[in-house]
Amino acid sequence: MNYMPGTASLIEDIDKKHLVLLRDGRTLIGFLRSIDQFANLVLHQTVERIHVGKKYGDIPRGIFVVRGENVVLLGEIDLEKESDTPLQQVSIEEILEEQRVEQQAKLEAEKLKVQALKDRGLSIPRADTLDEY
Amino acid sequence: MSTSTSEKQPLWIRLLTPEPPSTSSSGLHSSQGPEKSCSPLAPEEELVSASQLEEEEENENEEENLDPDLALDVEEEEEEEENSLGDPAVLTAVHNAQKGLLSSPGIKAPGVLGMSPTSLYFLCQTLDYLSPSPFRPTHASTSSPARHFGPRLLSPDPSLFCSSPTLQSPRFSHLTQLHPQHQRMLQLQQQSRTPSPPAKKPWSQQPDPYANLMTQKEKDWVIKVQMVQLQSENPSLDDCYYQKYYQKLEKRQADEELLGQRSKVESLKLVTPYIQKAEAYESVVRIEGSLGQVAVSTCFSPRRAIDAVPHGTQEPEIGATSSQRLRVLYWIEKMFLQLLEIEEGQKDGPSRPCYSEQQRNQVEKLFQSLNTPEQNHLDEAADGFLQVLSVRKGKALVARLLPFLPQDRAVSLLLAITHHLPLLVRRDAADQALQMLFQPLSKYINHLTFHELLQGLQGLMLLPPGSSERLVTAVLQNQFGISLLYALLSHGEKLVCLDSSLEESNSDHTVWTDIVILIAWEIAQMPATSLAEPLAFPSNLLPLFCRHVDKQLVQQLEATMQLAWIY
Repeated sequence: MNYMPGTASLIEDIDKKHLVLLRDGRTLIGFLRSIDQFANLVLHQTVERIHVGKKYGDIPRGIFVVRGENVVLLGEIDLEKESDTPLQQVSIEEILEEQRVEQQAKLEAEKLKVQALKDRGLSIPRADTLDEY
Repeated sequence: MSTSTSEKQPLWIRLLTPEPPSTSSSGLHSSQGPEKSCSPLAPEEELVSASQLEEEEENENEEENLDPDLALDVEEEEEEEENSLGDPAVLTAVHNAQKGLLSSPGIKAPGVLGMSPTSLYFLCQTLDYLSPSPFRPTHASTSSPARHFGPRLLSPDPSLFCSSPTLQSPRFSHLTQLHPQHQRMLQLQQQSRTPSPPAKKPWSQQPDPYANLMTQKEKDWVIKVQMVQLQSENPSLDDCYYQKYYQKLEKRQADEELLGQRSKVESLKLVTPYIQKAEAYESVVRIEGSLGQVAVSTCFSPRRAIDAVPHGTQEPEIGATSSQRLRVLYWIEKMFLQLLEIEEGQKDGPSRPCYSEQQRNQVEKLFQSLNTPEQNHLDEAADGFLQVLSVRKGKALVARLLPFLPQDRAVSLLLAITHHLPLLVRRDAADQALQMLFQPLSKYINHLTFHELLQGLQGLMLLPPGSSERLVTAVLQNQFGISLLYALLSHGEKLVCLDSSLEESNSDHTVWTDIVILIAWEIAQMPATSLAEPLAFPSNLLPLFCRHVDKQLVQQLEATMQLAWIY
């Protein structure tokens, strides 16, 4: 903010831990090391965090270079408050399993919904974009 | 000791459990002894006074736990009196708390705090940060050390304890709008941080090995790019909201400064840098003597179109090669620029009357450059003028210049055109663009004197050597020619009608009659198809012919002209 008062800039966020939400639904957590004018990000020591219900699991990913247009939002993580979360961390295998189960359930529900609508003569157009999660 | 156990528990638990009556009762009443002014208390009081926590009354206890490195002797001393709560520091704290935002007017007992559960939880949260185990810094400042992901290294930031005392208010710009509760929380954190006891051992900061991968130069570059995108010629238009807001803010600060409420605080303003636009450069290089243009094309100016090639019948010009033509074209361009200037200057002002001195000069200069031949020397020195009129653009130039000319100049122009009409008509065969001259010229026809008119028309009646037909025939076949002719005749007729003195037989009148008869005869002679359709057919032509020629001819004329008119 000191650099460019009155504007939003990522300069002040360099070298801080951030949570980045991508357009495909992934959540990345890492240290923001570098940016450019398109808000392309370089994340260091990145971890992909998968949330299912009250549980989450972290998959270490290393260094990420994210194209700016794929970012939905990002925010700084307060390192002290990071652990004050009601969520429970589980292992990677477990969370992936949970995720799979959740996806399955969602698909089933979707299928039922589509079928029900079809029975009533309605149809929902499929959203064939990436931004659905 | 009770204190050691109580240290493990969060404070609010300690508060809720019933305390020994001695502590509870003495907590409120200042039936204490004189304040101990022993030095160990001093740092504590310092802590208390500095923090000014409103919602917390457990300052004293808190501060005990604030820093494990606090001199143990102090802690130990306080431990003894902790249960008594008769400490003056506690009193201060209690008083502070009483002034605080607690809804209940007073604190009945430390056990019953009278606080809502949410604020209790708040307290718990804040206190948790300050509890020694596990020790965690309360705030990640701008230069917080990096945390390696995985095992958490909880190294506190020494800047926490040595934060600059000036930053009492949240250190954001004036634009950060925080929820009041959020703001209060941050304030609490900062206040609890600002006490920087000098006796503190500086905590060694774990340096972030990956810090500053992005160098300052790179940061500046990104900022520069962003600033360039923001710059504008008219910020009050493009960035209205921010500018207005900033003005309001400055005014408010100035007012507050005047009232002495606030010391001069400069709010930062976004100022975009002014960056020079890249200079436009000539991408087309003309080298004298080369064949055309050197092909230098860039994204800013792709290859220029080749110069217009003259098409149409080329008259054998003696010695005048294409360079002559180019010269004429170039000359026309130059004059056109002058004309555009004149038109530009006149655009704002009213249509005709008041021309500024400068404008009149410009017009005169342009006229001179046109090289209109003089009245007496109509035949000579007409070359340039005619060449200009042979080109379509030249005709446009003259047509647009005419409205600006003073009367006498325009008249001389008109006469020159009339005199050379056959030649012009011949040269216009390809373009057929003379028509654009008709409108402006016709305005000035009315200003011709009879004599001038006759002079103009006489030239048309000549029979050129080596040709059987008169020049006027060609004129009649051209639309512009015939229109101009008709207009001139009509004007002559008008003049004759108006001024009876001209009716008398004098040379002029004879000439006039001759001309009329001749023209009438020529018209009758021509097949109707080759007679061009005039742009305007004056009503007094037929009566004119009636008067001068016999009836039979008139009838013939009528037929021909009507037919031509229909066509």
